[in-house]
Amino acid sequence: MTTTAEQAPPARRRGVVGTRVRHTLGRLLVTLARSVAIFVPVFLVATFVTFALRSMSGLSPARIQLGEEATPEAIARVEAQWGLDRPFLVQYWDWFTGVLHGQLGTSWTNGADISTLIGLGLGVSLSVATFALIIGVVLGFTLGTLAALKRTTWIDRAITGFVTLISVMPAFVVGIVLVAVFAVGLHLFPSAGYIPAEQGFGPWLAHITLPALALSFDVVADVARQLRGSLVAAFRENYVTGAVVRGLSPRRIFLGHVLRNGIGPALATLGLKFPALVGASVVTEWIFGLQGFGRFANDSAQAGDVPAVQGVLVVSIVLVVLFNLIVNLVLARVTPASQRGV
Amino acid sequence: MTTLSELSDNAAAGTAQRAGEPDTEPDSPGTEPGTETADEPRTAVPAAAAAPVLAVRGVHISDQVTDREIVHGVSFELTPGKTVGIVGESGSGKTLTCRATLGILPPHFEVSAGSIEIAGTDIATLTPQQWTALRGATISAVFQDPASYLNPSIRVGAQIAEVIRVKKGLKRREARHRAVELLQAVQLRDPELVYGQYTHELSGGMLQRVLIAAAIAADPQILIADEATTALDVTVQAEILDLLAELRQQAGLALVVVSHDLAVVAQLCDEVLVMREGEVVEQGTTSEVLHHPRHEYTRLLIAEHDQYGLEKFLAPLTPLTPQETS
Amino acid sequence: MVRRVLTLTSGRIAVVILAAIALLAVFGPLLAPQNPLATSDNTLAAASGSHWLGTDYLGRDTFSRLLDGSRVSVLGSLEVALMALVVGAIPGILSVYLGRTFEWLTLRLADTLVALPFLLFAVAVIALLGNGITQAMLVTGALVSPLFYRVARAATLAVARSPYVEAALIAGASTGWIVRRHVWVKVLPPIAVALAQTIGVGFIIVSSLTFLGIGVQPPAPTWGGLLASDLGYLSYQPWAPLAPAVLIMITVWAGNLLADAIRDVSGEAGRAFVNTRKARANRLGKPDPVSTGGA
Repeated sequence: MTTTAEQAPPARRRGVVGTRVRHTLGRLLVTLARSVAIFVPVFLVATFVTFALRSMSGLSPARIQLGEEATPEAIARVEAQWGLDRPFLVQYWDWFTGVLHGQLGTSWTNGADISTLIGLGLGVSLSVATFALIIGVVLGFTLGTLAALKRTTWIDRAITGFVTLISVMPAFVVGIVLVAVFAVGLHLFPSAGYIPAEQGFGPWLAHITLPALALSFDVVADVARQLRGSLVAAFRENYVTGAVVRGLSPRRIFLGHVLRNGIGPALATLGLKFPALVGASVVTEWIFGLQGFGRFANDSAQAGDVPAVQGVLVVSIVLVVLFNLIVNLVLARVTPASQRGV
Repeated sequence: MTTLSELSDNAAAGTAQRAGEPDTEPDSPGTEPGTETADEPRTAVPAAAAAPVLAVRGVHISDQVTDREIVHGVSFELTPGKTVGIVGESGSGKTLTCRATLGILPPHFEVSAGSIEIAGTDIATLTPQQWTALRGATISAVFQDPASYLNPSIRVGAQIAEVIRVKKGLKRREARHRAVELLQAVQLRDPELVYGQYTHELSGGMLQRVLIAAAIAADPQILIADEATTALDVTVQAEILDLLAELRQQAGLALVVVSHDLAVVAQLCDEVLVMREGEVVEQGTTSEVLHHPRHEYTRLLIAEHDQYGLEKFLAPLTPLTPQETS
Repeated sequence: MVRRVLTLTSGRIAVVILAAIALLAVFGPLLAPQNPLATSDNTLAAASGSHWLGTDYLGRDTFSRLLDGSRVSVLGSLEVALMALVVGAIPGILSVYLGRTFEWLTLRLADTLVALPFLLFAVAVIALLGNGITQAMLVTGALVSPLFYRVARAATLAVARSPYVEAALIAGASTGWIVRRHVWVKVLPPIAVALAQTIGVGFIIVSSLTFLGIGVQPPAPTWGGLLASDLGYLSYQPWAPLAPAVLIMITVWAGNLLADAIRDVSGEAGRAFVNTRKARANRLGKPDPVSTGGA
């Protein structure tokens, strides 16, 4: 870098470069700080709402353990054991500090450690969700880009039609169709169950492919639509005209200028889509008989096991927050200008 | 503040001075960019280049949506080192004419009659690839609102370097070096610093200089300045006009200057077209148009300038009376 | 605006479909040819004259169950949309006017609701708070409300800070007149778009919940519930999920189509859109224009 400096003295040049490095680092920290500033209140509010669920529901471990005919004394005794007779805020504080240490409490139904129970299901759910995300990103970006490049042609219309079709298919409809066609009809994939990756990559992939596909449709549709929209909008920007006038090739303009500015909204969509992905796992895991995290949430909720439900919700919020943090950092890297409100 | 007629006289003097110049600088244009030195980045065009680099012949432009003709026949020729000015109010078709020349007419607009030749090639025959090769290297442009014509998420210097790398095949490091030189050539005070900045960190005048640097990065023969000074304040406007004049002189650029302001055109141009509602109402050398306007609209433009210009208020302090200036 | 939506083919299609679905919701249960809850020995029958869509695993007439279930499904999504509108749009508009504390609080709440994996939350909250359709709709409505909050807030902000409203204020226009003349025009279309979208989204959520058996008591039929009961018998009746699935998809599609149509005819984008269509029509039968560049 410094060897070509003829007009500027090397020391000065190094100063400029140093400033720029510090600039980049600073920007990263600012992004991180801003994301944390947004997510800390989100986390607090969400955990508070989650915790308040117990009081609102009026459920109690005593009912589950003692049955409907328990005496009030027995109920009071059990509730005291669980510490439920203390003031609400004290209970919240205890639970919240536990959460910060990774302890989600014990299940009302079987007394097992909830962190352990969730940990068991998380591997299944994350395998499926990650695979779904990969499918969603690859397919969504391909379709969106293609549609934007061939805008107003039949290719664009075909892709838009396809995207519209899959965007109106709820995950459970896709799931059922996939089971009916690929598992029951063609016997290509197993219709239910899960095999950990340690017992063989092939079977693992075979078991998560259909659920991941079912989950991914929504992502594909949203990413493709958003990307097409923002790319088409970016194509209309003056800087594209500017680049055309400077004699850059369409290919270079697309890759270097349009994609760079158009990719932001699509990435942001991905961040917004992730909660829906985690949520929809309840449905897909039910269809495909996966003992994952969503299934655990559903079963615990139906059984009235409040601490377990709270645990699942906290973990899901953490997942969403982490994912959005990553998306924000990538966004800051891709579009530096967006961070300064330009 | 000078009057319009004085401006035109200056322009004429400038032209006369330039006419003798090319002989003193024997280098031919656009050859071997690597050999150019930092002190004199651009070479002049020999006087022999009498053939027009840009010929616009009876161009009509129509809107496909309303099926209406917007521009009803524009013709002019441009030789190296010369400047053609197009004046008119907004909506008069001057920008569309420029865009047609650059092959970037907005959607639904097309050249419905007439022809445009750039360096001897009819643009109607160009393939998209040929257009790409032609733009930047032969014809280029700068616009009003320079911030929007630069990518907001790429450092401005990198955008200039990109043009140099692509159009002139220079290596990354050389291109960077050359981009800094260009930034210096457009009289930016701290080219190294500007190189690493984004559009929102620069002022309008600086951005217009950057845009000019990017436009001339691949040594084009023609530069179109479409309202390039309109949004800038008066002193900056004057500096940019001086810069354009200097580039024309040093590099033998042929300029097309489009403005709604007669003063801007008068200061720079050899030939002036006055457009109104798609029609060329007046065409001729700058001094002819300014001193002997034939069309009523041109007279109106000149009169307005005299009426609302600063001269009127300065008049009592100068020996000239308002009557004498008109 | 309604008339302009109807000038678009897509708008007409959307309105017709939604009207048909609404009619189905109102009259469907009355039209059911057989008792949707009556079981028979004729289980898992194929489609026939007496059972147009066959029977399910308990021998109940699928067509009757489909018609009977339409009311819960459709009303459910409407409830969700209206609930979200009330919970979202009103604080959204007020957040611009009620001071910084309110603004900050509602913004954080909206952030939180968006970040929640809402199907998971809906399942958890509804199951814990008592398994009823009303709770289900209220909770989902609240979870979807940030969409309205943002849309209403953005539109109000844009209007409140726009120069033309300031100009009108300076010119002495009354607040009422400004609201009618300027604010309404800007705030209403995006909210209408959001409402149409929410009908689609709400439909997906409601059918997902009923699919899981949440929000309704088991024997009562819903479209989602029909799919769930079909799942176990796919090897006998692989085509059974088709009817409810198609109905769900068509409804969601019509909602989205309506949202797009409203967006297309309102504002700047609307004009560009109409222009493009005209230009395409005009260009037919003409030679290609002179190259308009490499883009």
